[in-house]
Amino acid sequence: MDNFFNKLVELFTTPQYIDSLLHGFLLTMQISFFAIIIGLVLGTIIALIDTAKKSKWMVLPKFICRVYVTIIRGTPMALQLFIMFFVIFAIRGFPQIIIAILAFGFNSAAYTAEVIRSGIQSVDVGQTEAGMALGLSRFTIFRRIVAPQAIKNIIPALGNEIITVIKETAIVSMVGMYDLNMAAKDIGSGQNMASYIVPMFVAALFYLAVIYLITFVIKRIEKTLRKSERRA
Amino acid sequence: MDEKIIRVKDLKKEFGENKVLRGVNFELGAGERVVVLGPSGSGKSTFLRCINRIEEPTAGEVYFSDTLITDKNIQKIRQDIGMVFQHFNLINNLTVMKNLTLAPVILKLMNEEAAEKKARGLLKHIDLLGKAEAYPASLSGGQKQRIAIVRAMMLNPKVMLFDEPTSALDPESIGDVLSLIREVAKAGMTMMIVTHEMNFAKEIATRIVFVDEGRIIEEGTPKEFFEHPKTLRVKEFLEKVL
Repeated sequence: MDNFFNKLVELFTTPQYIDSLLHGFLLTMQISFFAIIIGLVLGTIIALIDTAKKSKWMVLPKFICRVYVTIIRGTPMALQLFIMFFVIFAIRGFPQIIIAILAFGFNSAAYTAEVIRSGIQSVDVGQTEAGMALGLSRFTIFRRIVAPQAIKNIIPALGNEIITVIKETAIVSMVGMYDLNMAAKDIGSGQNMASYIVPMFVAALFYLAVIYLITFVIKRIEKTLRKSERRA
Repeated sequence: MDEKIIRVKDLKKEFGENKVLRGVNFELGAGERVVVLGPSGSGKSTFLRCINRIEEPTAGEVYFSDTLITDKNIQKIRQDIGMVFQHFNLINNLTVMKNLTLAPVILKLMNEEAAEKKARGLLKHIDLLGKAEAYPASLSGGQKQRIAIVRAMMLNPKVMLFDEPTSALDPESIGDVLSLIREVAKAGMTMMIVTHEMNFAKEIATRIVFVDEGRIIEEGTPKEFFEHPKTLRVKEFLEKVL
């Protein structure tokens, strides 16, 4: 145990190690943040197309969205990352971080789309019918009635997806990117197996801290949104 | 004084293979109160819901006054057709007050202030002014349905459609809701009511329409209908329900 603490102190007092960890952490956060944004925007668009009223103009867009979601959800994230790196963006000098952001963003979009779609569809159809009977437009019904209720169903699952993206970015070390996961491995390497313990423990704490914070924020949002369900 | 508010011509509705309405012809005059009866699954709710296109008809024509209802004009026409649902359908994310004022304000029929004033008047009338700032989740079924009725009245509709307004209520609340409908009727509102409350039908209807297997098979005054049914099918039905 003494040894563990000594190593811990060593890690936090060696500028080179701290530097590596923070660099890795920053990269993890950058990839996650922008991937989540892309996932949200693209996912929302896909979900809206998916839940839009059926018409001849929507047949092709709906089909494309279904195919996209099916392919993304049906193949491993690691393979998608490889395809992005070694097939689609096999361009010398193209910034790796952008490829990674796109890979995780496109992946997250498919899951986010499903979360939003099921959130919208879980709103009782009677709510839409009430809006129709009152002479409101489809847009107004969506904006004032369906969307506010759907968000309540969406937020918890969306929180889950955000957490998944942050953790899943750890696989960028497979294509040689220096993220938090890679930093931990790097700091620990070159000595013996035991030397991995402390940096990996610290990296785990970093991930855990961020995810704990996000969970906390999501819970607060859920609580605020649930005020219309309060009885009395 | 023979103004027709609603005319329905050869209305058909199919859900895939299932033919729910097989050609309904019907007219509703101003001031009439038509109760639609029929066994469950006969298509009576679908009939009502096709009039304001909550359900898209497969074929046939519906006229509101003299205007043929189309996809283009239905949204505007719905302002004049109040609807009350079996499951109330109060908007869950809005307070009672907002449920009442949302449509008239968005449709620019009233400003916020005027809408709230009118809403308060109606809520006071049904003894629920104290619930103005409550959300639907905190209300009983009977309270929800009475609010749904006054919500429909906020737009001053020319006709009101009631789709089994008491079927989801406990016996005590049924009475409250029926008395409110009675009051609306007394004020001269033209209405169509789908219900299973036979006594209420007898009392409130100016005409009874009986739907079976997607067609209107008999209609008449409540007296004719209940005392001298013409068709065997209605005789059977009345024997079972009375």
